[in-house]
Amino acid sequence: MKKKKDSSKVDRRDFLKNTSVATFMAMMGGVELAAPGCGRSQPVPVAGRKSGGEGAAPGAAATPQPAGAEAPLTQKPSFPPCRYGVIGAGPWGRKIISTLDLLKNDHEFANTEVVAVCDHYAGWLNRAGDLVPKAERFDDYHKLLAKPEVQAVVVATPTHQHRDIVLDALKAGKHVYCEAPLAHTIADAKDIARAAQSAFKLVFQAGLQERSHPHRHFLLSFLRTGVLNRNVLARAQWHKKESWARTASTPARADELNWRLHQATSPGLMGEAGIHRLDAVTWFLGGPHAGGRPSAVTGFSSLILWNDGRDVPDTVQGVFEFPEGPNSGLRFLFDATLCNSFDSEYEMYYGSDSAILMQPGNESRDSKAWMFKEVDATPLGWEVYARTERFGAETGISLVANASKQTALTDKPAAGNAPAVIEPLQYALQAFTANISEIGGAVKTYADDFGEADTPEFRANLADARKRALSQYPAAGWEEGLEATVLALKANEAALKKQKIELKNEFFDL
Amino acid sequence: MKKLNSNPVPLCLAAGLLLAAAASARPADPPLHYQAQPTNTSVAIQGTSSVHDWEMKGPIIGGFVDLPAGLDFDTNQATLPGLKDGILAASVMARITVRSIKSEADHLPEVMDHLMQEAMKETNHPRIEYHLTELKLRQPHLAGQPFVFDAKGDLAIAGVTNKVAFPVAIVPLGKDKILIRGTNTLKMTDYKIDPPAPNFGLGLMKCGDEIKVLFQWTLLHLPPKQP
Repeated sequence: MKKKKDSSKVDRRDFLKNTSVATFMAMMGGVELAAPGCGRSQPVPVAGRKSGGEGAAPGAAATPQPAGAEAPLTQKPSFPPCRYGVIGAGPWGRKIISTLDLLKNDHEFANTEVVAVCDHYAGWLNRAGDLVPKAERFDDYHKLLAKPEVQAVVVATPTHQHRDIVLDALKAGKHVYCEAPLAHTIADAKDIARAAQSAFKLVFQAGLQERSHPHRHFLLSFLRTGVLNRNVLARAQWHKKESWARTASTPARADELNWRLHQATSPGLMGEAGIHRLDAVTWFLGGPHAGGRPSAVTGFSSLILWNDGRDVPDTVQGVFEFPEGPNSGLRFLFDATLCNSFDSEYEMYYGSDSAILMQPGNESRDSKAWMFKEVDATPLGWEVYARTERFGAETGISLVANASKQTALTDKPAAGNAPAVIEPLQYALQAFTANISEIGGAVKTYADDFGEADTPEFRANLADARKRALSQYPAAGWEEGLEATVLALKANEAALKKQKIELKNEFFDL
Repeated sequence: MKKLNSNPVPLCLAAGLLLAAAASARPADPPLHYQAQPTNTSVAIQGTSSVHDWEMKGPIIGGFVDLPAGLDFDTNQATLPGLKDGILAASVMARITVRSIKSEADHLPEVMDHLMQEAMKETNHPRIEYHLTELKLRQPHLAGQPFVFDAKGDLAIAGVTNKVAFPVAIVPLGKDKILIRGTNTLKMTDYKIDPPAPNFGLGLMKCGDEIKVLFQWTLLHLPPKQP
């Protein structure tokens, strides 16, 4: 019986084997090695979304297509209708509404629809409603949850309001996408995680969007081939020049809008901005079960520029230490500031053989990565065909998945395959929609024959279905959401106290 | 005074005859009803193609098996009681949801899933259904071995129903459960299914017409519901 590979167990031999195929493919000429599902224009091809496949070389795709081939593959059917309610219609909530509405352009997600929007502030509700005119508008989320046609909700309210909404939504039988961090306190985050764990027939997704990005999975399998050799250092940053302060027509509304500026309601820069980098780095370093959970964090913080009465710092640093294991001796340095925007947001992984720079995707660019090899590192073979870029005194080997010989020679992607920017949020909402369909189907299949009673067999059956669904449409669940939230909140606490905090397992355990 | 005959034997005999008559007059005992269980159940479909062999698996077989009342699957018996010409009066309905069958491929399993669902016209025929028409015990039966039967029945796939025959083994699992195992070979074209031939860019992959179906199905005896 064939068994699926664990992506954490890609070895160098596998990687090189696939690399030689990729090199051969590149030498054939006329073969466009495009990564399916990653940065492609619509409609999506039938091929899987996880770019390149496990162990594939950068530049290699799971299903290379001859140049000029006009979508010869069969097209996947559309997922069944998925009707969304979006709770919280601020700028990010409206971004989510627009992105959900955008999904309809993709044949596979053509039946996705926003049928309800909710915000207690009429101005925002109207603006959100204008984006999806057919959607019903609610000023109370309870009324939205009472609508049976709403199958899934996205919770995009201020972080400190997540708990009650998520618990009520799960109780109402809705699938839930909860923005990250899950909550502003560890107790609330655990309440959410417990409720999500109990609601085993529903899909709960944490808003750690990059967990759904195919390029991330492609890079993860690449990193786990051991290209870094010995892990030495990790570094990440989030830099923006903005105040976070919001103005409003009344003081009461201004107080409401400026929840990020006060420690009582805000998880600070570590939580609101840093959580995605903290999650990505600890995930790439192995996650909680393979030495990637830090054992301690030392924090620093200052209020340097935006001294407007807030008690949340505008600049923070965290130094994360790791336990004995694959990351022994490694420190992960993270800094975030609202005072300077230089170099924006990225992660660096330094190893004894090479360093890797990763940039997350956003509205203006797709997710990208580069490798900088040490001169004494083992040659991999394929890098002679890869695209390179200059970074000051360094030459970076592009880890963009379609960097083939052809693209290297022409220095631009082949016609017809211009990479389109698909934001991580879109991938995350696609994954949420797909997993709702898969888990919903598995629940129905099981219940038709064996009933809906909560039995160990039912849970085991759905756990298998969930595992399978996530292998095709990866996404962060409550476990990843809780892990990242606890880490960010403890880092925030360390930064505020300007001290070292030992990260005990009990902080993370349910 | 003339004494009444006090000999109890004829009275008992008469009472016994009356009881026997009453017993034969009442409706037959209800069959033993076995209901499908979700554990220890699986179906696998194995096939070939011009590129490589493939396999799909499903974890759920729904349905039931009704067996004659009083039947004991003690495998130490030389045969089963109550057979007529070796035939066991059983009733079976088994069904499999097409979407629950998933590819075991390392790469692009969702593509195989989709191809299979499309080929089996899943939208209009979401289930595979089987009804038993005859269950005949294979003789001789070796003590301690599972009872093996030749099963004949109607199999409906993608809206086409064909008669099928294949051997099945029935294994008692403790007091209340049975496990039914079987293997059958089918041709897709017999069910008007075109063997998938997806174009994966580098050339056509063509699936073979013949597929092998292997299943194991666990069922639990449920006592009749009280009126």
